[in-house]
Amino acid sequence: MTVIVTEGLVKRFGRSTALRGLDLEVRRGEVFGLIGPNGAGKTTAMRVLLDIVRPTGGTVRVLGEEPRAGGAALRRRVGYLPGELRLEGRARAGELLQHLAGLSGGVAPGTIERLAERLGLDLSKRVGTLSKGNKQKVGLVQAFMHEPELLVLDEPTSGLDPLVQQEFMALVREAKQRGQTVFLSSHVLGEIEQAADRVGVLHRGELVRVGTLDDVREGRQRRVRAVVTSAPGLAEALGGLERTKDLVVDERDGEARLSLLVEGGVDHLVKALARFQVRDLLIEEPELSDAVMAYYEGVRA
Amino acid sequence: MKLLKRELRESRVALAAWCAGLAAAVVMYVPFYPSIGGSGMMSAYLEAFPPEVARLFDFDRMATGAGYVQASYFGLTAFLLLAIAAIGWGSRAVAGAEAAGTLELTLAHGVTRWQVVTQAALALLVRLAVVSAAGSLVVWALDGSAGLELDPAGLWAATAALFLLGAVAGAAALFGGAVSGRPAVATGVGAAVAVLAYVCDAVADLAGARWLGRLSPYEWAFGRDPITTGFDLSGLALLALATLVLVVVGGLVFDRRDLRSP
Repeated sequence: MTVIVTEGLVKRFGRSTALRGLDLEVRRGEVFGLIGPNGAGKTTAMRVLLDIVRPTGGTVRVLGEEPRAGGAALRRRVGYLPGELRLEGRARAGELLQHLAGLSGGVAPGTIERLAERLGLDLSKRVGTLSKGNKQKVGLVQAFMHEPELLVLDEPTSGLDPLVQQEFMALVREAKQRGQTVFLSSHVLGEIEQAADRVGVLHRGELVRVGTLDDVREGRQRRVRAVVTSAPGLAEALGGLERTKDLVVDERDGEARLSLLVEGGVDHLVKALARFQVRDLLIEEPELSDAVMAYYEGVRA
Repeated sequence: MKLLKRELRESRVALAAWCAGLAAAVVMYVPFYPSIGGSGMMSAYLEAFPPEVARLFDFDRMATGAGYVQASYFGLTAFLLLAIAAIGWGSRAVAGAEAAGTLELTLAHGVTRWQVVTQAALALLVRLAVVSAAGSLVVWALDGSAGLELDPAGLWAATAALFLLGAVAGAAALFGGAVSGRPAVATGVGAAVAVLAYVCDAVADLAGARWLGRLSPYEWAFGRDPITTGFDLSGLALLALATLVLVVVGGLVFDRRDLRSP
């Protein structure tokens, strides 16, 4: 069952094109992360889902409905955190949240207070006086408070300190356990890495890659470092391996320090090393940011 | 109705301030009727003005209580103050909230675009009615002491005309904001309608161009002198219709367009 489907989604603003044929599928119950640099179209894609802006072309279905036709009833089933949340006015945070809860309905008593407590938000403060991080907390509470079937969170951790980010991750995990679907975006890749089951890489209004974190990591380069007791034929044995490059061998005091880049799996490298006496081996966990940047480079090239 | 209630609650301080403003305008003018209009001094004073100028500001009618209140209050200061309040509220309702980013949050919940526009319009009308009534209550309270000898029906007829004239200016600002999403455009459209209404009426008077006057909401409101002749239903109907058209067309466009990024 898919919760979000877009096919050939195009959105133009005057002469500029924000989305050029976006094909996206988010399945029920998963945490899907949309990553890409600023201006890639993440915010526009999310605003289309909420009927804040209307598509120029292509089709969109959210929880089986077209966002415009679904209207207010559809939006009650969705929690949304806008990307550039600016809150002004003299109303207290608690009042604003109660007001928004009244608009969407279905907020269990005490939910707002509980969420505010977990995120460390003071509900008695006037929203206009809140810091960026605290406004973001108000935004998170209003998105989560009615336990919607679908959460659409645009840059959810922006402005939050690391402890609150951890609490946010816990909220996402709990939502997933309850069967809610989470669609979140970021240009900070670390947050996707922790939370997302699947990742889509958006570049200039198009999805250039979708897959699990492992899929996305697959096919990327990892740096391998090893310390091996010096032995004849070492450099030759490693130099001839497939899918490796940048081999550096530094032989000193009877041991060789190796460093090289491996693309994809490491089985053949480990087997090649096994013929020697391995004193230390380190295969660096690839940063998703490297992976994503590699895609951007690939797309650009 | 939740949006309406919240809007009214959020702006209750401003509402009280505008009520006080209109009351102050009344207090500044009305008590001086006996020494200006009623004393015959005005007729002498009028000799000094060219008749066109006297007619432009309704000075020629200041010799009666009703004429004095119309010329000094309803037709000038109350119109000016109410139009400013209405344009401010009208442009804040959609365009202001949109520019501040709060509208995107509201619309992410179980609310339609139509609800946003219609409840903003209702909130505007409620506030304008309260402010108009507040000013007129002060006029009514001072009626005896100032010797105005106003006909109550005339006073409330003028109040209704003032209220709906303000509604047209506010609805124009609401329309400008609903169509564009920009507070500056909203204020500009509202101010243009208010100023043109006044100017068209004045020019029509001076130049005797009656067709021009028929286009002016100011003329619809005060052209038949409701404070002396009572309710002008056709004029009030025109004002109400203009308000309705501005809100509905604004809502139609707002329902179809993209929200602007804050």
